[in-house]
Amino acid sequence: MGPYGSDSTTVGSTACSGPEIDAILAGTGYGLRTSSPCHVANPDYTIPFNPSDVTTWVDSMLTDFNSASTANLHLQPIPATWTDQICSPLNPTDRTPSHALIAQQRKEEEDSGIRLVHLLMTCADAVQRGSTGLAAGMVDEMRVLLSRVNTLSGIGKVAGYFADALFRRLYTTETPLSVTDHEVLYHHFYEACPYLKFAHFTANQAILEAFEGYDRVHVIDFSLMQGLQWPALIQALALRPGGPPFLRITGIGPPSPDGRDALREVGFKLAELARSVQVRFAFRGVAANRLDDVKPWMLQATHGEAIAVNSVLQLHRLLTDPGTTPAPVDSVLEWIVGIRPKIVTVVEQEADHNKPTFIDRFTEALFYYSTLFDSLEGSRPHHQRQMALAEVYLQKEICNIVCCEGENRVERHEPLTQWRTRLTNAGLHPVHLGSGAFRQASMLLTLFSDEGYCVEEVDGCLTLGWHNRALISASAWRVPDADVSPDDSSVNNCINSNNVSGSDDNRMSM
Amino acid sequence: MGAEQEQHEQEQDDDTMNRGYNLNDNVDILAEILTRLDGRSLGVAACVCRLWSTVCNRDTVWEALCDRHVVGGAGDPGTRSVVAALGGYRRLYRLCLGPALDRLTCSGDPADPDKQGWAHLSLSLSLSLFSIDCYERLEGRQRPASLLFLCSKPVNVV
Repeated sequence: MGPYGSDSTTVGSTACSGPEIDAILAGTGYGLRTSSPCHVANPDYTIPFNPSDVTTWVDSMLTDFNSASTANLHLQPIPATWTDQICSPLNPTDRTPSHALIAQQRKEEEDSGIRLVHLLMTCADAVQRGSTGLAAGMVDEMRVLLSRVNTLSGIGKVAGYFADALFRRLYTTETPLSVTDHEVLYHHFYEACPYLKFAHFTANQAILEAFEGYDRVHVIDFSLMQGLQWPALIQALALRPGGPPFLRITGIGPPSPDGRDALREVGFKLAELARSVQVRFAFRGVAANRLDDVKPWMLQATHGEAIAVNSVLQLHRLLTDPGTTPAPVDSVLEWIVGIRPKIVTVVEQEADHNKPTFIDRFTEALFYYSTLFDSLEGSRPHHQRQMALAEVYLQKEICNIVCCEGENRVERHEPLTQWRTRLTNAGLHPVHLGSGAFRQASMLLTLFSDEGYCVEEVDGCLTLGWHNRALISASAWRVPDADVSPDDSSVNNCINSNNVSGSDDNRMSM
Repeated sequence: MGAEQEQHEQEQDDDTMNRGYNLNDNVDILAEILTRLDGRSLGVAACVCRLWSTVCNRDTVWEALCDRHVVGGAGDPGTRSVVAALGGYRRLYRLCLGPALDRLTCSGDPADPDKQGWAHLSLSLSLSLFSIDCYERLEGRQRPASLLFLCSKPVNVV
């Protein structure tokens, strides 16, 4: 049952008037009156769920799934009279419908879906122009429409999320996710669909090729999370002809709120894996809330080692509104070039969500996330929990794009062509991702799903998409003349760093 | 005369049964034969009796199976030690190769030469997936989920 759904068994539409809408919404727990949305801005108004407590919300949603009850998490049991007034898709267990009936229903759903999209656009336009009253009225209209559409899949689901995001933009402030919640959601998104796996495998392939011939290698990961990218690299280095090198990984991540050192724990696990396959390994964690807080000396780049910088979905967070310079990304790119890495792997969403006008961003995001959600449904059905949490992960992105402005908006996705320009201007040269990476990606996708996903090669970069719409891109870059001689281990300038306030310092070697 | 002959033959048969060749007495030959089976048959063979189950649990049997299906030399000594460290060939087959091969064979037209080539799954890809699973188990997760996508039945998306 979606957030706006019902299990009504009647078919047929009734035109609902204002007071009837109020009765319907009151039956579902909403005390909102269609005529006066302004009082909702009252600080006493309690929003349906607390966005900072994601896991509890999802658990409650899923227990509803499991118990197959019709009550939604924050809605009271639907009174019988209300269900009679709302039309919705026919409950298939009730009666065997005729073909004409099904066709009519489908047509109605399609019409409702189209109307929904139209409403979304108009509402976004109203928001952009600043007519909040008009926008609020449209949000209410959308809620009614959503009860008629199947919100468990397709356009209904995505429209539901976007309508919800518009509601939040109008009435509430979007609170950022806690660190642990974000990691949990990220992990489920990793498991539910191939985008992150594709990113990791492609980047690892490029890094592996760049590390050929070097005995000491250093990987700098801009977002360690649970370190899921690195077991595969460790294993590949262990099997490398000529034996494994000495591997150092520097993982950058946000500081853990509850005092436990998450980076260090991940480092321990990676070290244990490396020890079991006999790869000499050292780990270092750098805790920083923002990438531009990280300074090059914290990474302790050593002379004589091959450095790889790995950024998966991180660089777009450093962008600002187009036109405002300087963007933090430029300073970060500058120090990346400064440490002379052998290879820089960049994975970013293939979308343009950093346009200056709200309506453009909104439209782009609507189509991008529709495709993305479509692909989630199209792949093999997994654990329900995985899918639900993966969707919440995407929903947080949607909310950030729609609701937040200025510094709070971090999901500033830009397409590959713009990244190419930016990285080239910073002094990086592109590296062609070889056919090996392409074949590996294609093979991975065959395992994931029969059809729908497509890997394409664009000027040496790989993109993964759904039905010909590219959704994520992976590219590799190098610094010209960064060829450190593989045997040059005589000069060993280790930069000694003492603990400086603002950064945590863990070192652990095996 | 006829009855005597019959009885003599009967005794000879009895003798053969008592002194004859029993595969279960020659475990190495049994193992040799089992290394030539495919994954599903190996699983069935493991259910025959305790002895067969023990032999089927030998990693060498599964190593031979993996070697046959993989391009890249699953039997190299270097590879062997890495696979052993990550959990062994039997686990590699059960978690990665087996489901992946099932997926590849039923997704494509068996006569399609491209798909047949892919049945020889790249070793590096399988080991990458296997290493991620091993890593997740280090955490003590009850059910590492990164390979779940391999185990679900293929669904035709129309």
